[in-house]
Amino acid sequence: MLARVTAWTVRLALLWLLLGALRPAGPRALLETPQSVDTLHPQVCVHTRLIDEADEWKIQRTLQLVREMGASTIVEFFPWAYVEDRRDSYHWFVFDRIVRHARNQGLRIIARLGLVPFWARPETAQALTTLNTLPEESYDDFAQFVADFVARYAGDIDHIIIWNEPNLAFEWGFAQVNPAAYARLLQAVYAVAHAANSHVMILAGALAPTLEPEGSPHGLNDLLYLRALYEAGAADYFDALAVHTYGFTEAPEAQPAPDALNFRRAELLRALMVEYGDADTPVFITESGWNDSPRWTKAVRPSLRIAYTLDAFRWAENHWPWLENLCIWAFRFPTLTYSYPDNFALVGTDFQLRPIYYALQAYARGREESGLLWLPPPQEP
Amino acid sequence: MASAAARTIIQTIRAHKRLSAALALLALAGVILYAATRPPPILLPYGELRIAVDASYPPFAVATADDLWGIDIEIGRALGTRLGAPVRFVNMGFDGLYDALRTDQVDIVLAALIPNAARRGQVRYTRAYFDAGLVLVGGLTRMEESPGRRIAYEFGSVGDQEVRRWQRLVEQPFMPLPYELPQYALDAARLGVADAALVDAVSVRLYLREHAEWRPVLTPLTHTPYVIAVRLDRTTLFEAVDAALAEMLQEGAIEAILRRYL
Repeated sequence: MLARVTAWTVRLALLWLLLGALRPAGPRALLETPQSVDTLHPQVCVHTRLIDEADEWKIQRTLQLVREMGASTIVEFFPWAYVEDRRDSYHWFVFDRIVRHARNQGLRIIARLGLVPFWARPETAQALTTLNTLPEESYDDFAQFVADFVARYAGDIDHIIIWNEPNLAFEWGFAQVNPAAYARLLQAVYAVAHAANSHVMILAGALAPTLEPEGSPHGLNDLLYLRALYEAGAADYFDALAVHTYGFTEAPEAQPAPDALNFRRAELLRALMVEYGDADTPVFITESGWNDSPRWTKAVRPSLRIAYTLDAFRWAENHWPWLENLCIWAFRFPTLTYSYPDNFALVGTDFQLRPIYYALQAYARGREESGLLWLPPPQEP
Repeated sequence: MASAAARTIIQTIRAHKRLSAALALLALAGVILYAATRPPPILLPYGELRIAVDASYPPFAVATADDLWGIDIEIGRALGTRLGAPVRFVNMGFDGLYDALRTDQVDIVLAALIPNAARRGQVRYTRAYFDAGLVLVGGLTRMEESPGRRIAYEFGSVGDQEVRRWQRLVEQPFMPLPYELPQYALDAARLGVADAALVDAVSVRLYLREHAEWRPVLTPLTHTPYVIAVRLDRTTLFEAVDAALAEMLQEGAIEAILRRYL
């Protein structure tokens, strides 16, 4: 009896294995003939979200669409915690596949670096830490990761952003934001990164547009933060400034003001750079755009979102000679939130191209047909 | 016969006293464990129906200085009446709705919520009380009839995306007519400038309130259901809310509420 049961168990296991082997293979992401970007406006750039994409073919398809749209550059997040789970022990696979496909599509990468592995976070039972908590005693560990990163991807990635929105408490480990401490982080990174890759360009900031006053537990006004950064002597430790600027409900031409959040707030940051003798340092806008969610008070109608986005590129090209790239947040998300953030995307999670994608493609590749995006309202007889 | 069996059992217990005692304890522990973990029979443990809403989305929920109004608010009040419980609305941003449910700050989420497959491990969704999907308005009842016809839509919208998709699907082209706003696309269909308009259901209903004399054919083309979310372990509450919603849909109570706003 036992022998028969054993025999049948073995047979069923073999059958299960056989049926499993008959399952069709998943889509493969073979590299194409190396591509190049066809664009009339190389400033056009998009912020991708590839790092949390499980399937490699989706990374490849996303980057193909970026190239076909006519964007020359992507901004992508490369989290330290994903690759160095133990000190000096790297697993580069998740970064490699993004870099490999971006290179294949002829795209330039601006890498945003951050997210702290557990071993580099403080060991404390008293205070809560997050993946954005980087104690000063770990600055050298982070700098070593940056050096190893830029050495490995030299030639593919020569632009790196140190941290993200350090003027927001959430991005600074829910601690009080500290421009002087961020300046010391830049200092820790700068020399070792340049020693590892002499061509690398260190981008500071990626400051969030916010009006938070001094002492706020949530963050600090980006203009105040940048001034404090210069006062802390950070100018010697970055090669370019990364800026986040959103239009919200205003047109791209709307006048900037210290107490207003709109697209041209970038000009106020630029004025500060000039004030501190940093006029030769270029600027990269690494997040920008408008949202067309029907349920967000800071959003606009879809038609206006497209018109404003196109006008923003024209404005930047005509008025901002100091700007290297204008990057739209965001190209495509790996999953939906079913809330307003989904309405920042140019391409759906299911790879459906949204109308704004076609509009940007027509602009970037010089295929705009006429000045009118839509028809005038029909008239009553 | 029965007494013989009972005698056998008693003899067995006497012969294995320790084993019998252990089994009895195990059974008792099982009963206690079951009682401790079974769903609470109480429908609303706090004596009220706590409803999370996002009052930034007219006409579904809107906040004034001292009140809330809108479709979701009225449906919430009607649910409270049917469940025999007072209602307390908790207004919050959309991002906090699911967390509020998960941490038992509220009993249900009623906020023009679209089901999210990734959340199905945490919540259960009721049947839909409204479909906000795209509607074909006017002389066409199917997009397959579109070749050679004129289709109006809001530029850049989900309707625009659907129009572009259909342009790739149909063999003969149709004429796309993009407008800045959905009401202009509907104007085009009403005035005969277009053969049909492809617009979301909310825009269609708002427009038809303003143009009651116009009775176009309305054909739903895509579905965007609005549902209510209940925590996965609140089975009794889910069943009660879903049943109440079913009744309201059948009796026309939901449609009556919708008509006051849309």
